Amino acid sequence: MKKKSITLYINGEEHNVVVDVSDTLNHVIRNQLNRTDLKHCCGRGECGACTVLVDDDRYPTGRKAINSCMVLAAMMDGKRIQTVAGLEKNGKLHPVQEAFIEKGAIQCGFCSTGMIMKSVDILENNPKAKEAEIRQGLEGNICRCTGYTKIVQAVQQAGEVMAAKK
Amino acid sequence: MSNSRILPEFELLAPTSIAEAVEMASEYKDGAAVLAGGTDLMIMLQKSLRPQHVIALGEIPDLDYITYSKNDGLRIGALVTAWQLVQDSKVKKNYTALWQAASSLGSPQIRNAATIVGNILRASPSGDCCCAMLALGGSVVLESVSGKREVPIDEFFIDYGKINRKADEIAVGLHIPAPAEGAVSAFMRMTRMNFDLAKVSAAVRLDMKGKKCGSARVAMGAVAPTTVRIKKAEDILGNTTISQKTLDDVAAAVPRQLKPIDDVRSTADYRRQVSGILVKRTLQAACA
Repeated sequence: MKKKSITLYINGEEHNVVVDVSDTLNHVIRNQLNRTDLKHCCGRGECGACTVLVDDDRYPTGRKAINSCMVLAAMMDGKRIQTVAGLEKNGKLHPVQEAFIEKGAIQCGFCSTGMIMKSVDILENNPKAKEAEIRQGLEGNICRCTGYTKIVQAVQQAGEVMAAKK
Repeated sequence: MSNSRILPEFELLAPTSIAEAVEMASEYKDGAAVLAGGTDLMIMLQKSLRPQHVIALGEIPDLDYITYSKNDGLRIGALVTAWQLVQDSKVKKNYTALWQAASSLGSPQIRNAATIVGNILRASPSGDCCCAMLALGGSVVLESVSGKREVPIDEFFIDYGKINRKADEIAVGLHIPAPAEGAVSAFMRMTRMNFDLAKVSAAVRLDMKGKKCGSARVAMGAVAPTTVRIKKAEDILGNTTISQKTLDDVAAAVPRQLKPIDDVRSTADYRRQVSGILVKRTLQAACA
């Protein structure tokens, strides 16, 4: 087959779409569904800017972080996918988003969509993640503006908020 | 031309059984590429790989297993990701080198997608699991319409990018025999940052009998066109009580066995200089 009809559930919304089988998940979401809430950057799994969370019931949180540039959309039929736009609830930002703003953990913002999704993944697994664990968890997400200090601080702050809510 | 957004056109085949997959491999042979985790294949497609067909294994449940028994050892299906392997406490205990290699492979996102079998098949000289597997011993299980065969890992890496797999065969899994009583192993690598590919890597397996090392397997990565065994080091370690002097002898012998090159990650000189120390530390880690 060269085309495939698939259903993606992005942030709870159902999308039925016919894709070229050679299209990546990233390409379909950005260019066919016209959503820019995930970035396309290196295209080779090195930078993490395209990170999304995809359902996988083998994981303790029920989902995993993957690079959307490294998977074919045709192999993702029926999957539930969360992007940064799906974090907000009833007009309120996710604690990780709040903390990124408060700590100024953003400069150009290009890495932020992926950086925030991976941070959510780290904290959902362990809201009390220590600095070293956060840095390890963000190894696949690259920021080229500055350093990682404020990003790590933001994740720690968000973790405190999330742990208090639990 | 390289384009990371638009991949070249191909026909996607999504078999749901191994039987179906090997039929496809036998029909399309070199014209087909096999997709499991995709973390290598997607990049190869962006570069120069132009298959007419891509056989995606993702919908074959029979390829998703990790089994371990004292008789048969460890078996890993072609769809098992690095993340899955790292969750397995039996792998951590009995095949420490492979567990450590899988833990250090790529980034968290890569480990959630990349398969162990895929890392072996890519046969990169710096492949983490290639190095660990070569030290542990074992075999790659290949299947075609005419049946299964197990290729010992020692005969699997032929040359740079060349592996002992026929075009009509699909790698369905790995098999590593159960470790002998007292066997220990370890994997270590040198990188600038954790996420990088290894500049140099080393893995060892020591079959200990009390304080004495009965026999040893020592493998290194990124020091030759394929991952290689360092026979000289193995000879020094075999049938000895490992002392500081043994470790120093190994460290001195290792650099003379290598054929490293200069590349973007390191230089031949540097690789040669650190190789002995790296093997020494890997031995110490295995014995600790």
